[in-house]
Amino acid sequence: MFEPLLHALPVVLQWPNLVAIIVGTVSGMVIGSLPGLTATMGIAILIPLTFTMEPLVALGMMAGIYNGAMYGGSIPAILLRIPGTPPSIVTTFDGPPMAQAGRAAYALKIACWSSAIGGAISAVALMTIAPPLVRITLLFGPAEYFWVAVFGLASIAVLLGRDPVKGLAAACFGLLLSMVGLDTVTGHERLAFDSKHLLDGLNLIVVLTGLYALPPAIRMAEQAAAQGLRSAHLKLQEGDSIIAHIRDFLPVWLRSGIIGIFVGILPGTGGSMAAFIAYNETRRVDPDPDSFGKGNPKGVAAAECGNNADNAAAMIPALTLGVPGSGVAAVILAGLLVHGLQPGPQLFRENPDVVYGFMIQMLLTSALLMLFGGQLAFRVFAQILRVPPVLLAPMILCLAVVGVYTLENSIFEVWLMLGFGLVGYVMTRTGYPLAPVILGLILGDMAEQQYRLTLLINQGDWTSLFRSPLSLTIVGLTCLVLSWPLIQHLRIRRRERRAA
Amino acid sequence: MTRKILTLAAASLMAAGTALADYPERPIDLIVAFSPGGGTDVAARTIEPFIEKYLEADITVLNKPGAGGEIGFTALAESKPDGYTIGFINIPAMFAYSYERETRYSRASFTPIANLVSDPGILAVRADSDIKSLADLVQFGKDNPKAMPIGTSGSVGSSEHLAIKQVESLTGAQFNHVPFGSTAPLRTALLGGHIPVAAFNLGEAVQFMEEGQIRVLGVMSDERAGMAADIPTFKEQGIDLVTGSSRGIAGPAGMPKEIVDKLSEAIRQAMEDDEYVAKAKAADVPLNYLPADAYATFLEATDKNLAQAWEKDPWKQ
Repeated sequence: MFEPLLHALPVVLQWPNLVAIIVGTVSGMVIGSLPGLTATMGIAILIPLTFTMEPLVALGMMAGIYNGAMYGGSIPAILLRIPGTPPSIVTTFDGPPMAQAGRAAYALKIACWSSAIGGAISAVALMTIAPPLVRITLLFGPAEYFWVAVFGLASIAVLLGRDPVKGLAAACFGLLLSMVGLDTVTGHERLAFDSKHLLDGLNLIVVLTGLYALPPAIRMAEQAAAQGLRSAHLKLQEGDSIIAHIRDFLPVWLRSGIIGIFVGILPGTGGSMAAFIAYNETRRVDPDPDSFGKGNPKGVAAAECGNNADNAAAMIPALTLGVPGSGVAAVILAGLLVHGLQPGPQLFRENPDVVYGFMIQMLLTSALLMLFGGQLAFRVFAQILRVPPVLLAPMILCLAVVGVYTLENSIFEVWLMLGFGLVGYVMTRTGYPLAPVILGLILGDMAEQQYRLTLLINQGDWTSLFRSPLSLTIVGLTCLVLSWPLIQHLRIRRRERRAA
Repeated sequence: MTRKILTLAAASLMAAGTALADYPERPIDLIVAFSPGGGTDVAARTIEPFIEKYLEADITVLNKPGAGGEIGFTALAESKPDGYTIGFINIPAMFAYSYERETRYSRASFTPIANLVSDPGILAVRADSDIKSLADLVQFGKDNPKAMPIGTSGSVGSSEHLAIKQVESLTGAQFNHVPFGSTAPLRTALLGGHIPVAAFNLGEAVQFMEEGQIRVLGVMSDERAGMAADIPTFKEQGIDLVTGSSRGIAGPAGMPKEIVDKLSEAIRQAMEDDEYVAKAKAADVPLNYLPADAYATFLEATDKNLAQAWEKDPWKQ
């Protein structure tokens, strides 16, 4: 098993390849930290530039961008409450409260460590147990994917917070948004209002950027007065040591890492769901679940570790079956094709140095996150907090507009994003949470599509949804997650009764 | 008024005349109607440097995704026919849209330049399936109408969907169409045994076939395909069906013939370039060069077939 890895190692360590992963990781961090720019786009733009490069140089840059961007997204999420990439929405739950409490530097450090560890766990899984993990991918059919989506939607329950009605309303809004576009089964247009631009459905990045990046910009413009955080907040405070709290973090990392890997090997789910579920589970088993959402370092750790553990795992079905586990994995596949490397079972045999080299690169770039993310990033990026809001607001607006325009080279998307910006502003002002909207948009589509596929295959027999043991297991897990608050509540009451 | 128009026309002709002589004298936009990283985009970006080499011009890939490609196709149809905007068109999807909904283009809106890739359709089962041949499948479809689910890589109106409908009308068997929307999830569902039969393109099946994971029941090509020479065609098995999806390059209607020929010739040279051929072979891309006139004939025939199919049994109400 390790022989091909050892064989690929010297190739990976050649200097052009090392330069590639360093350049990739740093640019990935920058791309990820800018709202509207994503790893998917960064890699897609890179592909034509890699024609003349050796495959491993190109792949090294892609691996770097992938891991770098997934960490980079947490930087604005913590400092400005603007997720740089979709998965870092989850980081906005506990990151900004920590920053407000003056622990921004600590939050950034946790995000960096957790991303690196999540990425590393995932890369090791890719190297060692890719073949058996692929078999798990094959176990999942439409019925199972439907339940996975329902399981993801159940985690909304955790996000509801104090006002469940508003949370549910936001989730329904997200589900409604997921219905926009052409119906694949019948070919009918839904909620497209005769606009060709809406036929493919709403682009997640457009909605995300609108909802999350614009409201803070509007609010900053409102406040107008310069209120940059004092630089003292950028330094680590006493007691803000990861090593000292390593016992708290280790189980979080391990749990989130495994969750991330499992979500990663299921095509079509992606890092957002990994981060949501990892956060959800960490909160569920924590002795003090109420501290989450108020600046609990473990919340940041779970979110970032879960989402980076999705990275290399998403490449497992991509490399072996040609099915990308996420949008980023899809463009990396395209990058492979450009170099004449057809993903699939033969890739491992015909180009072992490239495949195993790429796996090593995924591990090395995770390690690089520690180096750059740790020292460089928070020295540089934390300076954002010194920029007065009067300047920061138009900067965010410009970035959002440029980022969204480059998605499809179309101004329609920009208007759509601005529209969602207004919606997001009204929602935050009236106390509606934003995260359920995004979760609804991501999972609504998946749940609907897989549900209909299952029923189509089985000619409308709905018992087919419960036929496989795997489906039943996921249904059971969903019930457990949904009833957990109730169980917790009953337990506390019994304890109180006993005490009285 | 008339004189003004005439002068304008004359002026534009003269402009065209000078442009023709030293075409191409500035960068050419190549519209790709899909997102960066998609199948068509990769194909475009792979061949682009080779066309540049033989055309001696800069080509810029311009992604205009949306509405399954319709936005990009419309942009191409509505661009200036001066040879500086060309684009990839995907057949039959591009034409199928014009039956399903109102499009701002038709076949007459394009000048065909060259076909690059023709990937024949296939029907495939998992290697351990009881269905050994096309005849088995058809028999099952006759005995158990609408019971056998067949997954397709497209949605309603895709070439695979229409192919299944054609098999049904040719044989009298009836199947249950399950649109998966794209190839990768369909192929995984086939490998995992979640769907018994799948219809997609040969290029996306070859590797899995060679590994012995799936069995291809038949190829919807005129003659046996080079990359799967031991798999019989549908025709050989008594079903007269030739279809698949193809990618080619076209421009807006009214492009001067000299420019079309120059482009078509550069594409031919690019497709014969050893380096490109090697890349295409490694990526299982079934190349099929058709010059402008042959491509025009092909487009016409495809559009007519679609019109007939729509007339007989519209695939979308």
